[in-house]
Amino acid sequence: MTQQNGIHAARLQEIERQARLLAQENRLAEPEITRIFWFPSEDEVRLVELDATVPPSGDGRIHPYFFRPSPQDGLPAPSGIALIRPDEHRRVELPESWGDWENAVEIEAQP
Amino acid sequence: MSWRSAFLLQARSDNNIRQQLNVAKVEYCHQLHYLQMVTEKLAKALVTPENATQPPAFSHAMFVSGLKAMKGRPDIRRLLGYDSFEQFRAAINSLLPLADKIERLAPALANGPNPEYPWQTNLNSPVVAPVEFSFADFDLRKPQMAKLLQIIDRLLVVLT
Repeated sequence: MTQQNGIHAARLQEIERQARLLAQENRLAEPEITRIFWFPSEDEVRLVELDATVPPSGDGRIHPYFFRPSPQDGLPAPSGIALIRPDEHRRVELPESWGDWENAVEIEAQP
Repeated sequence: MSWRSAFLLQARSDNNIRQQLNVAKVEYCHQLHYLQMVTEKLAKALVTPENATQPPAFSHAMFVSGLKAMKGRPDIRRLLGYDSFEQFRAAINSLLPLADKIERLAPALANGPNPEYPWQTNLNSPVVAPVEFSFADFDLRKPQMAKLLQIIDRLLVVLT
């Protein structure tokens, strides 16, 4: 592994840590969330959460809510979080820079 | 200025006007109209990444989902002054039905009472002007309404 690759890997690992932290917090905050998907990126935490109680997207696209970094809360990277209905999974269009559903990594609930 | 900052700035200004209308005791429909606009712009700021080169897609219905997305944010919880995770979750949950009603005040979503345009529920019912309607669901003396306004005021301070 080159030094550059190592930096990228470390950055992604840190983003994944934050993604898992947020996923855990969000599951605790909203028991209606059934599944959470992480879209790996070195730039920000990107999560799509399935929740049957949210309104349908309407235009067939995902509209994440974006939050600034908050290092003192263990979240040094910015983040984008979208809530969609379970039946919209893999059917609604992701933001352009998020890639496609094939990139999604499911974050399982911790026992 | 970024699109996100611009929507936040406009939401803060709308909220200032809402507060002034309240102090001036103008007809409640006008205060509600501004409140609906505040929530819409606040939600639009949240769905706009800092580096966005275009405004967010048009939608009146983003506020409730935005509140739900905030529930799991430790940073927002701290900034709004909630020490307890459970307390914050309960507070937001208790406000969602009212937030949904406010969201639906937008004329494009309302099938009746709304703060902007006269309506008629059916052909046999009277035409109603917003200035003469009580909007009892949004009574400022109700604790849920007061709590929602406090949270909105606070969000407009802490969000950047």
